[in-house]
Amino acid sequence: MVSDSIANASITCAPNVRDLGKKKRANRSAKLKQCKLDVRREQWLSQGKKKECLEEWTGDAIQWDSSKMTLENMELRKAMDRAEGNGHISSPSNSPISFNSIMGSNDSGTNCSGSSSSSSSAGCCSGNITEEDDEGDDDGCLDDWEAMADALAANDENKKPPVCPPPTQDLAANNMEVRVATAQNPGLESRVIPAVTNTRAWRPDDASRPQSLPNLTKHHSFPNPLDRRFMNGGIPWTSRNRIFNTPTSCPICCEDLDLTDSSFLPCLCGFRLCLFCHKRILEEDGRCPGCRKPYETNPVQGEASSEGGNLTFHRSRSLMMRP
Amino acid sequence: MQTSRARLFKEYKAVQREKGADPDIQLVCDDSNIFKWTALIKGPSETPFEGGVFQLVFAIPEQYPLQPPQVRFLTKIFHPNVHFKTGEICLDILKNAWSPAWTLQSVCRAIIALMAHPEPDSPLNCDSGNLLRSGDIRGYQSMARMYTRLAAMPKKG
Repeated sequence: MVSDSIANASITCAPNVRDLGKKKRANRSAKLKQCKLDVRREQWLSQGKKKECLEEWTGDAIQWDSSKMTLENMELRKAMDRAEGNGHISSPSNSPISFNSIMGSNDSGTNCSGSSSSSSSAGCCSGNITEEDDEGDDDGCLDDWEAMADALAANDENKKPPVCPPPTQDLAANNMEVRVATAQNPGLESRVIPAVTNTRAWRPDDASRPQSLPNLTKHHSFPNPLDRRFMNGGIPWTSRNRIFNTPTSCPICCEDLDLTDSSFLPCLCGFRLCLFCHKRILEEDGRCPGCRKPYETNPVQGEASSEGGNLTFHRSRSLMMRP
Repeated sequence: MQTSRARLFKEYKAVQREKGADPDIQLVCDDSNIFKWTALIKGPSETPFEGGVFQLVFAIPEQYPLQPPQVRFLTKIFHPNVHFKTGEICLDILKNAWSPAWTLQSVCRAIIALMAHPEPDSPLNCDSGNLLRSGDIRGYQSMARMYTRLAAMPKKG
């Protein structure tokens, strides 16, 4: 799935990388914003329940940090501080630099635009997930991701025209590296969500929306036809029940009458029973339990036969109504 | 087999639910066998059986409710339609007039009605039937009253 979407992104957007030197810097600030949000997320999570895995993660980051601490990173930190008004970065040396060091393993600066686009779309993906199914994410990190997605979307709107990713190989390599780096810590799997140039959350009718995302509108629209069917079938059901006073269970075997049985009128006296018991009585003495008159050879089944078309429908509904 | 069991279980639950709904009938299911029931019925008022409590035993066939239950009196009763020695009951609904729509409770009601309205023309107890058929209502009533006191009423003292 990752490679597919990367290929799509590279196809749809022309890889005109050389002209984008100016945007490099803007995208770098966006990237730094994400790094900062990463740090905040990490801090927030480290207070929570997933302590062990995050400690592992910070350990990795520190490793990366020690190996790749450069002057450029310090400069980027300043830019990040400028971009963010609050300047609340309590441990900036850990994750932003680790992220940059991952980036630094690739050679050219054009990768920055690609990585930022991928990371911003990753943010959008996670934001989308929180939108689509807002329950069941108990690791508590998605609020932060959503905030990051919002911030990055706002940032990208300022910096039109939008980001164009680098050629496929570079971006793929970049993403692979990110994946390798995050594979050790399961808490960060969402960062490897595929890169798509669209930085906004997908609309349900969006063409570029991945099929694998859950579609909640489908679920919402699902009960409506059922309800309508229920209403349509339910009204005659209750009225018929009231008029004929149909018993809910067979008086002979005490099993519940389904609609085939309750529309089965074997005797003119109005005594109703299930088809099973009726057959058994026909095999024995063949008299109606209600009036003790012998059943006629072809009993009155007009009601049942006239409803033959609706029979399966009613049966399924009566099953539905059963608690 | 399965049908009769389910039906009897439903009847058992109905009996438990409507306990006391009919003060003249107490239906009790055997603890270990749902095909064995006993019933205690009160003799109807304004009959020689008034004040007596009569015990019935039900033996329910596996074809129930398509086949009627076999009922007999365990308590001795002087009644033209009840065999004096075996307690067998001659009642049309327990023979050919049986309907699967009947229940054990309704059988008990029918037996109470039979006690109030004997049918001397098809007697199992010929002495009792002959008394009635000869028009000796007083003789019949005194005999029935005596046996009720002897067998169906709590002993005094």
